[in-house]
Amino acid sequence: MTIAAGIGYALVALGPSLSLFVSVVSKKPFLILTLLSSTLVWLVSLIVLSGLWRPFLPLKANVRWPYALLVISSVCFQEALRFLFWKVYKRLEDVLDSFADRISRPRLFLTDKLQIALAGGLGHGVAHAVFFCLSLLTPAFGPATFYVDRCSKVPFFLISAIIALAFVTIHTFSMVIAFEGYAKGNKVDQVIVPVIHLAAGMLTLVNFASEGCVIGVPLLYVLASLTLVHCGKMVWQRLIESRNQSSPSR
Amino acid sequence: MESSSILDSLGVEIIGVMAPVSICMFLVVLLTYSLSVTSDSQIRTAANLIYIENPSDSATVKLEGSLENAIVFVVLVAAVTFVLVLLFYYNFTNFLKHYMRFSAFFVLGTMGGAIFLSIIQHFSIPVDSITCFVLLFNFTILGTLSVFSGGMPILVRQCYMVVMGIVVAAWFTKLPEWTTWFILVALALYDLVAVLAPGGPLKLLVELASTRDEELPAMVYEARPTVSSHHGRNRGSSLRALVSGGGGGGVSDSGSVELQAVRENSHNLDYNAVAVRDIDNVDGNGNRNRDSVDRSPSEGHFASSVSSEHSTVVGIRESIESRGSVADEEMSPLVELMGWGDDREDLRGFEESNNVENLRNGIKLGLGDFIFYSVLVGRAAMYDLMTVYACYLAIISGLGCTLILLSVYNRALPALPISIMLGVVFYFLTRLLMEPFVVGMTTNLMMF
Repeated sequence: MTIAAGIGYALVALGPSLSLFVSVVSKKPFLILTLLSSTLVWLVSLIVLSGLWRPFLPLKANVRWPYALLVISSVCFQEALRFLFWKVYKRLEDVLDSFADRISRPRLFLTDKLQIALAGGLGHGVAHAVFFCLSLLTPAFGPATFYVDRCSKVPFFLISAIIALAFVTIHTFSMVIAFEGYAKGNKVDQVIVPVIHLAAGMLTLVNFASEGCVIGVPLLYVLASLTLVHCGKMVWQRLIESRNQSSPSR
Repeated sequence: MESSSILDSLGVEIIGVMAPVSICMFLVVLLTYSLSVTSDSQIRTAANLIYIENPSDSATVKLEGSLENAIVFVVLVAAVTFVLVLLFYYNFTNFLKHYMRFSAFFVLGTMGGAIFLSIIQHFSIPVDSITCFVLLFNFTILGTLSVFSGGMPILVRQCYMVVMGIVVAAWFTKLPEWTTWFILVALALYDLVAVLAPGGPLKLLVELASTRDEELPAMVYEARPTVSSHHGRNRGSSLRALVSGGGGGGVSDSGSVELQAVRENSHNLDYNAVAVRDIDNVDGNGNRNRDSVDRSPSEGHFASSVSSEHSTVVGIRESIESRGSVADEEMSPLVELMGWGDDREDLRGFEESNNVENLRNGIKLGLGDFIFYSVLVGRAAMYDLMTVYACYLAIISGLGCTLILLSVYNRALPALPISIMLGVVFYFLTRLLMEPFVVGMTTNLMMF
C-alpha cells in the first residue's frame, strides 16, 4: 500500500507530463535534449536563488511578507531567465535553419517550433515538480504519512502533488505562450506569462492561512486552466493561419 | 512537406549514449534504495586498501585517509592500464581477450550473484538454491559470450554492458562516503591526464588501436549497431569479427575508460572534392561507410550511390530513399551537430578541406564511465532524492558537453572529468544550499 501511495503521488504530479513526454517528446531526440537542458536551466536558477536566500533562512513561520518577497524575487529571476532561454533558442533556431538549408531539407515547421517550446516548458515544469514535490516524497514510500497543520484535511504529499500538477501545467504551457509572444512580438502574450507565474506564486501564499489551501488550490487550478485554454486558443489560431498561408502556394 | 523535418533525426547519437547511461544510473539508484538497509557492512576492495573509514573518525582523519585511498586506487588503476597497454603493444591481444572474458565472468558471477542474493533475501523471493544457481550460471555464461563473440545481437551486448556497469557500480556504492568522493574526483583527474596528456596510457592505447586498425581491447559500450562482420572484407586484419569487448579487469582497471569516436577516415578525399555540396558528400560517405559495415550490403546500391555522388542532389536523394529511411537516419547526427553546433567559418573551412573524419560509426563510451557516473548517483541517493536529480542532470549535461566537444575535436576524449566535476559541484550545492530552501518552502506549501 505504501509503495502504491508513493507511486500514486508521483503520478498525480507527473502523470500528465509523463504522457506528454511519451507521446510527443520521446519520439524526437532533439526534443529530449531540449527538455534536459531546460530542466538543467531551471535547476541552476533554483540553486542560484537558494544561494541568494540562504543567509535569510529559515524564515519565521508566521510572518508572511518575507515569503512574498521570496516568491516575487524568484519569479522575476525565473522570468528573466526565460527571456534568456528564448534568446538562446532564437540563435539555435537560426543555426538549425541554416543547417537545414545546407542539407537541403525543409526549414523548421511551425509545429516543430511549437514542439520545441513545449519541450522547453515541459522541462521547466518537470523540474519544478521533481524538486518541489517528488524529492520530498521519499517518506511517502514508508509506512506513515504526514499532515501539515495549516492544511489538516489532506496529507501533505497529496496536496503538494496537486499543487505541483498545477504548476507543471502553468510552466509547460506558459513557455509555449511566451515563445510565441516573443516570436510574434505580441505584447499581451509577453506580459501575460510573468503575470500568471507571479499570480500563481502569490496564490500559494493563501495556503498560509489556516485551511487556506481549500481556497488557494482551486484558485490555482483556475489559473492553470486559464493558461491551458489561452495556449490552446493561440496555437489553434497559429495553425489555422499557417495553413491558410501555405495552402494558396500549393 | 514531403520530406521530414530535420528535427526528427537530430541528436539520435547523443540520445543513443544518454539512454543507456540513464538506465544504468536509474537502476543503480533503485538498487541502493531498496538494499540500503541490508547492506551496511564495509567492503574491502582496491579502493580502500589503506584506510577504512569509520563514521566516528574526525574530519581530518577521514580527509587524510580518503585522500590516501584515492591516490592508491588511482595509482593501481594507472599501473594496470599501463600493463594493458604493454600487453597490447606486444600483441598479446588474445591473452587480453581471454583475461577480459574471465573478468566478465567473474564480475557477473560473483558480484552479480551477491547482488542477486541480497535482492532475493530482501524481497524474500521464493526460489530454491539449485534453480538460482542454474539461472545465475546461464545468465553469466550468456553475458560472457555476448561481450566477446560475434553473432550475438547488439542489443544483448548493450544490455550486458549496462548490467555489468550496474553490478560494479552497486558494489562501489558500498564504499564509505568520503572515500567515494575523493576517488571520484581523483579518477576524473586521472582520466583527464590519461586520455589527453602525451604519453597517457589511454591515449597510447587509443592511438595504438587506431594505427593497427584493431578494436580497443577494453570494455566499451557501442551506441551504434556495428555489425559483427562475418565477411570482414573491408578490413584486412580487422578484429571486427570480435566484438570490441574486454572485461576491463573488473573492478581494478575499469577506470580505463574513455569516450571515443570511432573514426573512419577512409575515402573522404575524392568525395569531398565537390566542396560546394559538402553535406551531400557527407551523405555519400555515409552510405558508403554504412555499406562497408552493413550486414547485408547490396553492392548495387553501393555502386549507385557512389556513381551518383557526383551527379545531382536528386540522384543522391534517390539512392538514399531506395535504401529506406534507415540510411537517412544513418547519416550521423553528430556530424550534423558539428555543422550546426558550431557554425564558425573555420569549422566550415575545416569541413570543406575534408580533414574531418567521419564519426558515423558510432560513439563508444567506456564501461568505467557508466560505473562511476552511477557510483556518483548512487552515493547521492543515500542522501536524498533531490541530490539524485541534481546529480543526474549534471552528469547528463556534462556528457552532452563532452559529446559536443567530441564532435568539435574529433578525437578520443575523457568522459569523466566534466560530468564528475559538475556532478560533485551540484551535489554539494544541492545539499548545502538548495535543500533547506526547498524544504522550507514546500513544508509551508509555497511554490513558484
